[in-house]
Amino acid sequence: MAGKVGWYGRKRTRELALIVCFLLPSLAIFLLYRMIPLGWNVVLSFQSWSPMRPARWVGFEHYEEMFLWDDVFWQAFWNTLIWIGAAPVAIVLALGIALLVNSDLKGASVYRTIVFLSYPLMTVAVGIIWRWMYDERGGFFNWVLRSTGVIEQPLGFLASFDMALPAVIVTDIWQVIGFYMIVLLTGLQSIPQHLYEAARIDGAPARARFFRITLPMLRPSLFLCAVIGLLNSFTSFDLVYIMTNGGPGHATELLITYIYKAGFGQTKFDYAAAITVVQFSLLLVLTVLANWAAGGNAGAVERD
Amino acid sequence: MLGRRSALKASVALAASLATPAIAQTRRRISFLTWNIIDQEPLIRGWIESFQRANPGAEVEWLDKKGPELPPFYQTQLAAGTPPDVINTQGALWLEYAANGALMDLTEAIAGDPAVKSRFNAEYLANWTYQGRNFMVPFYITKTLLFYNKPLFQQAGLSGPPGSFDDILGFADRIKGGDRTGFLTLNFDWLYWPLFAMNGIELLTPDLKKTAFNTPKAAEVVEKLARASDSGAINKISWTGRWVEPNGAFGAGNVGMLHAHSPAYYFFRGQGTWVTPESLGVAHAPGGYSTPNSHGLGVSKGSRHPDLAVAFVKHVTADAQAGQLANQRRILTGNTAVDTALLAKLEKEDPTVHAILRTQIEHTDKMVGNWRTPLDSRIKEAFWPELQNALLGRKPAARALADAERRVQRELDRA
Repeated sequence: MAGKVGWYGRKRTRELALIVCFLLPSLAIFLLYRMIPLGWNVVLSFQSWSPMRPARWVGFEHYEEMFLWDDVFWQAFWNTLIWIGAAPVAIVLALGIALLVNSDLKGASVYRTIVFLSYPLMTVAVGIIWRWMYDERGGFFNWVLRSTGVIEQPLGFLASFDMALPAVIVTDIWQVIGFYMIVLLTGLQSIPQHLYEAARIDGAPARARFFRITLPMLRPSLFLCAVIGLLNSFTSFDLVYIMTNGGPGHATELLITYIYKAGFGQTKFDYAAAITVVQFSLLLVLTVLANWAAGGNAGAVERD
Repeated sequence: MLGRRSALKASVALAASLATPAIAQTRRRISFLTWNIIDQEPLIRGWIESFQRANPGAEVEWLDKKGPELPPFYQTQLAAGTPPDVINTQGALWLEYAANGALMDLTEAIAGDPAVKSRFNAEYLANWTYQGRNFMVPFYITKTLLFYNKPLFQQAGLSGPPGSFDDILGFADRIKGGDRTGFLTLNFDWLYWPLFAMNGIELLTPDLKKTAFNTPKAAEVVEKLARASDSGAINKISWTGRWVEPNGAFGAGNVGMLHAHSPAYYFFRGQGTWVTPESLGVAHAPGGYSTPNSHGLGVSKGSRHPDLAVAFVKHVTADAQAGQLANQRRILTGNTAVDTALLAKLEKEDPTVHAILRTQIEHTDKMVGNWRTPLDSRIKEAFWPELQNALLGRKPAARALADAERRVQRELDRA
């Protein structure tokens, strides 16, 4: 039977086996450190458990507590959404800066470096520095505002229920804007120049060139920034923890800080697991929406 | 036939092989988890060495964690079934561990050794009891007191410390102005509770099952505090800062009074050049009320060598070791003889520290904010944000207290 080939002899099967071999180490790590903890977390959210007592099945009790009784959860939920909503603001600002440093501006490379400098800084250090800058008595902002006569009495930025969250978000934007700018700058520099030349020859104004060429061509970079902004919103634990620890009250509480407090502050790991499930679901929904907004094939590899 | 030399070698080899596991079995290892005292490494290594010398075959592994890291670390070790044998905790953290069976009951171990029981300050030792059983013993002890800035007092025409709650607010109001504020308090771990206790306000009913704080008197007190915070008489950091900010603010010399526990002195002294024996006033809070925030030593129930762990606790709290700690850190240890000796020494060497530490063993019957409930952290988390809402002017006092009552009662009921 010279013409018959076994399953292993098929080219496609061999290719598949090779791909699996390459993927296996990372898949094993993904399974061990992502999927199994995630699965256990979901199970835990339906149990009553702490390190000091055995697990007991309680069904939807934690979810009922969370959705119907826990106003701190709702505050943390809305704060997280507000934080997510700030990401587009940062991206727009970063795009403005990227366009500036991509132009013929004198000293553009210096400005680019200065703007990017904030990104590699440790978030904990950023949090401490900005906390002092916002300080009511000796802080930089109050000094400037009082020196220039804008205010008479110092403002307690981080002690105020209304100003604390915006103040922390401004710090977050300051830190991450350099990264967005670099991503967008790379995108801008990869746009073929002949498109702009053709548009100029056709007499297209600058505004049209921006909306018809720049923005569409930047879509992958913008999507990348949006996804990073989304993930950043869900993981901004350190900045909030250092600057306000979720306070005053719970004015700057995010889901991630509330999860930490419930788990490690009050030994409610079971309840923290339930909040984690909600946070994960929210992240999943928003990622699907972002992918849809980006055309539905973000991350796909086009084959020749 | 086996030669004499061969027989001798064989018997030596046999003896050696039999002895090896025996030696291995006599090697007993315990671990000692401390709360952010890595700076005391030579001292603790010395304790371990002397303990190991006195207990052949014993090995002590020392672990030190910063405050925020210690509870997660201990909880994960509990979950893994390998809790550190001897644990040092701060404040009321131990209550949850004790109530849930993570800590060993030390009552018999203490009572069975009169020399050990008599070494401790009885009021402080009683602080570590849950349902009448002793789960921990004092390691080093602190409670709140009132520091005041004498030059600011003089400028405001004040001569001595406040004698009542209204005095605190009145004095603070006279001191405030420009960048100056009159009063600051630490707020974590119920350290602000003396302000309520001196007004006769209780957090919970005596059986710890119902809330007791939502009263007209409490609303009046909270309103007064909120008004004083709004006017600048009370520094708002009292309700937003934790440790560095309030102590730093007092150290800067712009705050009239600081209500804090004794270790705060070592922090603000390093920050404020104005802090001298002549300029710093030390007093009890009005009514002698204070909140303890001590460190204790306990033994995990999951310890594989509980007897050795208990012996280590006794070793660390004995006169020699406690004396070293007291002298090196200039703190009280709850060991009566050691504390008496330290105070006698400090009276001549450092009168300010003497005055501060003296307050720590006075009015120990007026210690408040130390409810023996394993729900302490949950009650705190339910109560404090609502109180902050009122103190920082976001909610009227009555509404904030009602909301706090609903949340605290829910925690109590769920338990």
